[in-house]
Amino acid sequence: MPFDAMGETPDEALLVLFANGDGAAARVLTQRLTPRVMAHAYRLLGQHAEAEDVTQEAMLRLWKQAPDWRQGEAKVSTWLYRVVANLCIDRRRRMRSVALDAIPEPEDGRASAADTLQDRARAEALQAALDGLPDRQRQAVVLRHIEGLANPEIAAIMEITVEAVESLTSRGKRALAAALTERQEELGYADEG
Amino acid sequence: MPMKDEERDMNGLEAYFDAARAERAAPSADLMARIIADAQAVQMAARSPAPRRRAGLGEQFYRLIGGWPAMAGLATAAVAGVWLGTSLPEGLLGPGEAAYLVDVTPELAFDLAGGDF
Repeated sequence: MPFDAMGETPDEALLVLFANGDGAAARVLTQRLTPRVMAHAYRLLGQHAEAEDVTQEAMLRLWKQAPDWRQGEAKVSTWLYRVVANLCIDRRRRMRSVALDAIPEPEDGRASAADTLQDRARAEALQAALDGLPDRQRQAVVLRHIEGLANPEIAAIMEITVEAVESLTSRGKRALAAALTERQEELGYADEG
Repeated sequence: MPMKDEERDMNGLEAYFDAARAERAAPSADLMARIIADAQAVQMAARSPAPRRRAGLGEQFYRLIGGWPAMAGLATAAVAGVWLGTSLPEGLLGPGEAAYLVDVTPELAFDLAGGDF
């Protein structure tokens, strides 16, 4: 199938084409999925270089999984979110000794939508607060409130019930609100937004 | 925290989530290239058949005689031969039957014993 004609093709069908050796399917899947995987990995890890490593590893696992992909069982995106979360949890366990202050800011790839300095400051403050959450709470909050997924899909990704997702997001948001309020007080300003 | 404060903080979070969505970390061109290279390598590996291993002498003999059915037959024959060889004299020949046995090489037994005619 030509590269241009693949724009509307579902991920699962592209994966079948990929397994049959179609090079264009590999490029379309890479362009379609990698930005989402990278953004999610960064939000779970808070480190750009680590997030890139996880992204490459997750995509490599997808390529290897392609011949055995079972149609209709799971969406490719659901499977990828799960793989990314597991890889990130493993990475974070290894990164425990790294102080939060030492975490570098993202170096490139910033969306052009960084309209104001305040937006950037908020995004960085939120990332720092997310880094302080337990792994499962962080994953649930990011999937629900940043990736914008519905609770049933999050439940499928995390392999828990919808009620458990609601509980995790609720506790995570409370912890984030507390952390961000504390940070505002430390910095000596009140957020207008 | 009083309910009203908590509600206000929760609503305030939305501004942070909006900012986070706008500040999406994007993959570098180098990362995209690495991922496509991985994809091509996986496709290439799937396309090329696994290299054939050269069979050893033992394996060649095994195939020559016909594989496992022939080997099973050989093994059965060998076991049966050993059983016959070890059990027949006691099992089939009593003292009476032994008298009918004729020693066809008495000289050899004598030589081995160091005798002299």
